[in-house]
Amino acid sequence: MTSVAPEIDNTAEIPGRRAVLITGDLDFTGVTDTVAAVWERPRPPRAWYVALAISLTLLTILGAMVLYLILNGVGVWGLNNPTAWGFDITNFVFWVGIGHAGTLISAILFLFRQKWRTSINRFAEAMTIFAVMCAGLFPGIHVGRIWLAYWLAPLPNQMAMWPNFRSPLLWDVFAVGTYFTVSLLFWYVGMLPDLATFRDRATSRPRQIIYGLLSLGWNGSSRHWHRFERAYLLLAALATPLVLSVHSVVSFDFAVSQLPGWHTTIFPPYFVAGAIFGGFAMVLTLAVPARELFGLKNIITLRHLENCCKIVLVTGLMVSYAYMMEFFMAWYSGSPFERFIFRARAGGPYAWAYWTMIACNVVAPQLFWFKRVRTNVWLILVVVMAVNVGMWFERFVIIVTSLSQDFLPSSWDYYRPSLVEILTLAGSFGLFFTLFLLFCRFLPMVAMAEVKTVMPQAALTAERHPHEHVPPTRAFDYNPDEHEPPAQTGGSS
Amino acid sequence: MRSTAIDIDNESRPLERGAARRAGAAALVGLAATGLAIGLGAGSGWDVFFRSYLLNYTYFLSLALGGLCFVMLQHVVRAGWSVSVRRVAEFVAATLPWLTLLFLPLLVPVVGRLPGVYEWTDPAVVQGDPRLQAKAAYLNVPFFAVRCAVYFGVWSWLAWFCLRESRTQDISGDPRHTQRLERVSAPGLLALALTVTFFAIDTLMSLHPHWYSTIWGVYFFAGSAVGFYALLVLMLAILRRSGRMRHAVGAEHFHDLGKLAFGFVVFWAYIAFSQYLLIWYANLPEETIWYRPRQGDRWWVGVSLLLVFGHFLLPLMALMSRFPKRRPRLLVAAAVWLLLMHWLDLYYIVKPRAGPHHDHAPPLHATDLLLLVGLGGLFVAALVRPMRRWHLLPRRDPRLPEALSYENV
Amino acid sequence: MTAQATSSTPVRKLHGLIAEFTSPGALVTAAEQVRDAGFTRWDTHTPFPVHGIDAAMDIRRTRLPWLVLAAGTAGCLLGLLMQWWMNATSAADFPTVPTFLQGYDYLISGKPIFSLPANIPVIFELTVLLAALVTVIGMLALNNLPRFHDALFRLPRFRRVTTDRFFLRVDADDPRFDAEGTAVFLRGLGAVAVEPVESDGQPAHWPRWLVTALVVLAALALFPPLVVAKARLSKSPKPRIALIQDMDNQERYKAQQSNPVFADGRAGRQPPAGTMARGQLHTDAHYYVGRVGDDWALTFPPQVTVDQAFLRRGQERFGVYCAPCHGLGGAGDGLVHQRAVQRDTPGWVQPSSLHDQLIRSRPVGHLFNTITNGIRSMPPYSDQIPPADRWAIVAYVRALQLSQDARLEDVPPERQPELR
Repeated sequence: MTSVAPEIDNTAEIPGRRAVLITGDLDFTGVTDTVAAVWERPRPPRAWYVALAISLTLLTILGAMVLYLILNGVGVWGLNNPTAWGFDITNFVFWVGIGHAGTLISAILFLFRQKWRTSINRFAEAMTIFAVMCAGLFPGIHVGRIWLAYWLAPLPNQMAMWPNFRSPLLWDVFAVGTYFTVSLLFWYVGMLPDLATFRDRATSRPRQIIYGLLSLGWNGSSRHWHRFERAYLLLAALATPLVLSVHSVVSFDFAVSQLPGWHTTIFPPYFVAGAIFGGFAMVLTLAVPARELFGLKNIITLRHLENCCKIVLVTGLMVSYAYMMEFFMAWYSGSPFERFIFRARAGGPYAWAYWTMIACNVVAPQLFWFKRVRTNVWLILVVVMAVNVGMWFERFVIIVTSLSQDFLPSSWDYYRPSLVEILTLAGSFGLFFTLFLLFCRFLPMVAMAEVKTVMPQAALTAERHPHEHVPPTRAFDYNPDEHEPPAQTGGSS
Repeated sequence: MRSTAIDIDNESRPLERGAARRAGAAALVGLAATGLAIGLGAGSGWDVFFRSYLLNYTYFLSLALGGLCFVMLQHVVRAGWSVSVRRVAEFVAATLPWLTLLFLPLLVPVVGRLPGVYEWTDPAVVQGDPRLQAKAAYLNVPFFAVRCAVYFGVWSWLAWFCLRESRTQDISGDPRHTQRLERVSAPGLLALALTVTFFAIDTLMSLHPHWYSTIWGVYFFAGSAVGFYALLVLMLAILRRSGRMRHAVGAEHFHDLGKLAFGFVVFWAYIAFSQYLLIWYANLPEETIWYRPRQGDRWWVGVSLLLVFGHFLLPLMALMSRFPKRRPRLLVAAAVWLLLMHWLDLYYIVKPRAGPHHDHAPPLHATDLLLLVGLGGLFVAALVRPMRRWHLLPRRDPRLPEALSYENV
Repeated sequence: MTAQATSSTPVRKLHGLIAEFTSPGALVTAAEQVRDAGFTRWDTHTPFPVHGIDAAMDIRRTRLPWLVLAAGTAGCLLGLLMQWWMNATSAADFPTVPTFLQGYDYLISGKPIFSLPANIPVIFELTVLLAALVTVIGMLALNNLPRFHDALFRLPRFRRVTTDRFFLRVDADDPRFDAEGTAVFLRGLGAVAVEPVESDGQPAHWPRWLVTALVVLAALALFPPLVVAKARLSKSPKPRIALIQDMDNQERYKAQQSNPVFADGRAGRQPPAGTMARGQLHTDAHYYVGRVGDDWALTFPPQVTVDQAFLRRGQERFGVYCAPCHGLGGAGDGLVHQRAVQRDTPGWVQPSSLHDQLIRSRPVGHLFNTITNGIRSMPPYSDQIPPADRWAIVAYVRALQLSQDARLEDVPPERQPELR
């Protein structure tokens, strides 16, 4: 059942009047009904079944490919000397990057008091968890002897053997592990009030028990809310440097080496910007169909989508800046190796990948300068799909061009992925989408409690609090043609 | 019910004549100090003088650029809370045309090919150095001059535009000014990013022309942001003491500026550490060469450690809790400290000299401090000038009521 | 108001009163009035955190941030200490520490043994991890969650607390609580409904069957670690159990296996044609084979000097390799022969006596060849005895032969009186 409601355009900006974030005249009851309906309806829409069937198929393929790999060894991949990293690490960085948007929306936009984040933060965080799971798969299976992967952890053993903490690959273990744990905690804790909503609306005893257990007995007590809010703020404050650090640590995998094209100081902030770029593209890729399919257009409105598009544009410009700086400094350095690698990227054996990347990452997002594009869901989808592709190719270009053509020309070799690698990449999307579709069906997709706090009905009126300055936030009765000069004196008008 | 009336006109009234006299005095002190420094420079070496000038000049320039960035950023994100502090930031940015004039002395060592400042300006040096020849298409005097003209042109125009639109809105209250500012600020920020990056490369990174770092522009920007927020806090505190903006700017605004300062302190440390770690780890001589003189003797090790503890760890601890951020007194102390640390950061960038020009004396010269006072006096005078003519708050900005009434979590 | 207990129905207890409101503003006003009326054991319940309720209820700031700061600091120190210990110390620095906890300092890519810059990322991550864990666990613990039972959940109206209704609850154990008076007071605050909160009278402790099951499970769960501990601390003649058998069954080709990769199908490879291993080019036939031209060598090769030391070496080597069969005296009566006779080994042929006329007449080169390549049932010793030692043994054999076939004149005169 797709939404029959027309698309309400709340993207107009009248300075002095904050736009309505939740359209369609919804009140608290309406918001809860809309979001819970996804879960309460007896059957999900047919498209959900179709999507789940496809993603389960891909997931099975993933399982088969991983099993095949474990039984036969890494030789089933196309890796060679000198290209010892190919699809495996490209996929790892791709998925980790996608995860970052969720934390940005949850944590950083929270710290910046961006109210519009409340409609999308829940499923963006879910997207983070699932993306990090997909990401963690790849370093795990690429090590060769997977059953010894526990050696990466500092566990006491009789060999007096400890991890090498000086290696960025080990920093990855801690960074991605911490990121997964903290994101999971943040997501789950944030979900407690909404799980309690499900518990209270459950129509069958098993559901009541399951959601009752999951919600830990949350009863909406204000004293609990006080500590909850504090914990949320602390988690947001912790998650912000965490998200910066995780993709920086991933970038260290490359940047601490001496390879031209890898060893460059801008990698950490560049990778973080790129991660947010790719992540928001994925958020939009998920949000646009999800709001149609699950009838959430009044909660995830055009304004929300437009704001996401702007973030895509900004981070895309940061990525383009980084491309330009790398290229300029490679020339400026005068180093023949540096200069070569950039010529090779644009004109060498992987030029096809390079120009795909440029078209998708540099050119495509520029369409978001235009409001027409930002507010048209189909055009948004086209651009963000291009960005998803482009961000995958960016990692591919970085990894493979620098490895396959390093300092010694006699070592050069062309890397071709094997079918197993390609199917593994496709299969990882199966894992991601299976988990995401299950999340949509069984867990609260939108942070209802948070959405309610940014609705105008949540504000205490001026009549009640004579000493409190309340900004004029009447939601429904603005008239774009009339603009009175704001009050010379403070207080509500 | 009506809330307490805030008299915006009174709160935002421009500075009076007394301020003009004080600004004039500051300018005179500045000129005197600069003159003294010139005298010393003639004696002890023009290269020392110009390096001190570069240090102090980029210090004040970075504050102004931070202001410009802040103003345009607030327009792009349609911020409400910052409207009451934005005019002061516009004044900081409005010093850019004056800073353009003050940049001209720096062309002297470039055009005059003064040894000991920019090696790449000396054709004899370039002749003998293939690595400098490789980049001579970029690092040459005419191109440098053209680029600087572009940087200062862009900055001055943007600063003027932002202030002009904003102060025109004081009279009409027309929201189209806000919309225009939003539309210009987005490409304006892009232009700012590029010009600031290349300015930092041209004037600071090329002090050591063999060395390069792709993160350089970001590093300079991060430091400027810290310095600017500190300056803004200081200025707001001073203005509030004169009785202005007492209701328009309160604990909530200081809290937010404190959060931003905190955030950028952490960001600066992250960028500085990224640059250091990558260069340390790969250990390539062509890159570590920049850090060698900065760790080479006790003085510089001391400066490095002072930056780690003073520019990062101490402000991190001090600004973490909400308590100091909501007390203007404590926040002002932190702001003054951060302004000093920002200067120290630029000192760390500009002053070390390796190779044939290596100084054996403690590398803190009288000209460093004289020109700090000198250029500082002129900067203060440039700051005060617009504050005499225009209101200190965007009186009829449509989002001003939001700024007057919001609360932090 | 408690319901009258009968012999079969449980006693209900009144926990308090609850008032329902439809807007946050109404709730905050009501909360202020309840606070001002002097109640202390009360709370409000809302679907989302209401701005201003903290002040209306005089809720004190939580000390959670301090706990988190402590945890973060602990994480920071833990990260630093862990990396220093594991990567920069060794058994030499701390010999009393048990092996499985000792550090191992090894140089890698020329980095300093204690590399603080390289340790910063993990320090940072552990700081955040511990801080985040304490944030969540601390918040839940301070809120006394999880708490699955609450009399409030029995009220159908209360179900709307997570959707769109706002509740104010006063506990019965508040000193100012009075069942009727408080109800009247609450109705006067603008509530749309006021209801009693009652428990169902069921006992609060866990059911016996659940406790028994948990205890049994806990006891069973102890078994695996105990088994492991026993195995760790005791010795066994059996080989270790390994889940991954790749040391026991190594994925490699053994010498006599077939291997389809090569044309001749063998895993064992010959050296390539026309090549020779280093040190194996034995062109000196006299020394390596015992031949001079086509004949057996009659003299020792020039590489060896037959002196006392040489003979002593030969004696020692003879005792190692030859005496077991041929006997210490060379008469063919070594321990192997004695044992074979004792056991009546079928087909056993006595080892030759070295004093046999035939063997005495053999040239030294021939004897050397016999040791090298074996003869009849004697195996070759070329792999075990290097050529120099073989010549030493030959020299000693000659000495032995002389010892059994000497005349009085061969004995030096000064030693002759000893023979009497």
